[in-house]
Amino acid sequence: MTRQRLPAPDTNGRSLDAQLHLLDRQIVDADGVPVTTVDDLELDSPVPGTPIEQGTPAPRIQALLTGPALVTRIFGGKPPASRLIRIPWSDVAGLGTIISLGVRANSLDASWVERWIRDHLIGKIPGGRHDPQ
Amino acid sequence: MKRLLGVALGILTAIGGFVDIGDLVANAVVGSRFGLSLVWVVAVGVLGICLFANMSGRVAAVSNRATFEVIRERLGARAGLANLGASFFINLMTVIAEIGGICLALQLASSVSYLLWVPVATAAVWLVIWRVRFSIMENVAGLLGLSLIVFAVALFLLQPDWGSLAGQALAPHVPESETPATYWFYAVALFGAAMTPYEVFFFSSGAVEEGWTAKDLVLSRINVFVGFPLGGFLSVAIAGTAAVVLLPAGIEVSSLSEVVLPVVAGGGKIALAFALVGIVAATFGAALETTLSSGYTLAQFFGWSWGKFRRPAQAARFHLAMIICLLAGPSLLATGVDPILLTEYSVVFSAIALPLTYLPILIVANDQQYMGKHVNPRAVNILATIYLVIILAASLSAIPLMIMTGAGS
Amino acid sequence: MILSNLLGSEVRDAEGRKVGHIADVRFVLDGPPGQLLAAARLHGLIVSPHSAASFLGYERYNVTQPWPLAQLLRWRHRGSFLVLWEDVARMDSGIVDLRQNYTEYDPMVPL
Repeated sequence: MTRQRLPAPDTNGRSLDAQLHLLDRQIVDADGVPVTTVDDLELDSPVPGTPIEQGTPAPRIQALLTGPALVTRIFGGKPPASRLIRIPWSDVAGLGTIISLGVRANSLDASWVERWIRDHLIGKIPGGRHDPQ
Repeated sequence: MKRLLGVALGILTAIGGFVDIGDLVANAVVGSRFGLSLVWVVAVGVLGICLFANMSGRVAAVSNRATFEVIRERLGARAGLANLGASFFINLMTVIAEIGGICLALQLASSVSYLLWVPVATAAVWLVIWRVRFSIMENVAGLLGLSLIVFAVALFLLQPDWGSLAGQALAPHVPESETPATYWFYAVALFGAAMTPYEVFFFSSGAVEEGWTAKDLVLSRINVFVGFPLGGFLSVAIAGTAAVVLLPAGIEVSSLSEVVLPVVAGGGKIALAFALVGIVAATFGAALETTLSSGYTLAQFFGWSWGKFRRPAQAARFHLAMIICLLAGPSLLATGVDPILLTEYSVVFSAIALPLTYLPILIVANDQQYMGKHVNPRAVNILATIYLVIILAASLSAIPLMIMTGAGS
Repeated sequence: MILSNLLGSEVRDAEGRKVGHIADVRFVLDGPPGQLLAAARLHGLIVSPHSAASFLGYERYNVTQPWPLAQLLRWRHRGSFLVLWEDVARMDSGIVDLRQNYTEYDPMVPL
């Protein structure tokens, strides 16, 4: 079944396939420090189950999701919207084999666990804030 | 000297694969029961790990991505998690075994009970991970581990019948006292040890730690083609001394003291001292390699900040994960479990981890997005595909063979 | 809407016949520029008639190495096609309906 198909119409911008170019990639902050991975994506979307009118604008990526979104992606189910940890699309600066952000990790909700462990545990152990010798 | 230190990463990585505590004993067991009739498996294993470690090193140098990042990205969250579970379990079991191994070697050297050494050894491993620079760590552990060459020296001093040894190695057959099932069980175990996945996790992460770039591809290749054959050579030397001394005498290997027996026979007390230094360094090196690999795999799967080139506070979850692993070790050892037995059972989990580790490496090594012009040459792809089939066959037969033979007993 | 709830959904034509599963979702960076990067607009769905799971995307690249793995995966996803957002009539949980006379486009990733 190698039926010839029409080539896809040209687009003005770069194409990205979610599974191939976004999901499960490493996210780094403006300083190149790893923050998390792309565990899922949030789209704005039409009301489920209702017909989509001709000419309805296409959904857009609102945010990269992380944290609880990984659990539900692996084991199924739907995370409550309030529990999602979002990195808004407007913070994304570059897309390559890694996803780079234009902001620092410290300003993101996505890094609160790292910060908590740093401030309460690792940073308190002697030598924890020094370069290795 | 700088050249020599440049290959420390390859040597340390190979030590964890070929002469860590489980393999030290396994090699002597194999030598004392099968002579050198399993040397061909070591050769097959060395070629396989060279092939894939070289690929993982090249991916890390060119794209700056360590192996478990690649695994997560290519396999996705679900299959990636299955691999993480199996690999992490192997790592943790090996960490515990290696700490036990350091203590067994220290007990042999000092006659102080092994359990008293456990907290000392654990604290020492943690301190190195916490405070010592990566390059110093790999140089010291790698070079001291080389004292194991004393096994090869002892083999020469024993003046064996080289013709008969070569005959065993080149025309292998199952000894009359053993069944084919136990022969193949040890073949699969030796192959699994040579290809154990934490080697590529450690090697590729070490390449990132050292900041290798596409300019360092030659260095990466030298590391691979010096380190792993050397590891294989050491494991054959250990089996060889056992084949010459223990096999004719009918001595069964059940602990470290039998492993070093032929060294004493060949080279006396000085050789023994070298062997003990080598064993402590090798098990210590393997403990570092597996503890760091536990941290690397977790951090790379979840996208945490990682690496010894950062301050611990800048890789907080990475360091916390390793602290938890190191605390789990002594607690389990205190229950009196046999650390050497632990590594034998991790073979089972390799069945899941091996294919799910080497497949994504092969695929990304062909991906131009990552590799640009440094994609795999065709011959490497053909060889790697053949190895994937061997890996799959070994993985699938590991569990039935283990049950059939009662883990080789 | 969360992307992973869309992936794997069954795709049906206007008569309600199953034509495949969503293997992937294609976006295009042609929206109005945000702060750093243009907005990512849903361009279309990659539909695979034989397999629900997208795996490695060999059907969307002209990559033929490593042999025979590339060929095997490409075969698993033979007949994959791209439908544009304009041809999507309805989205529900686990089901996507297409419009009448929708067009199947070549799924290759434009370079």
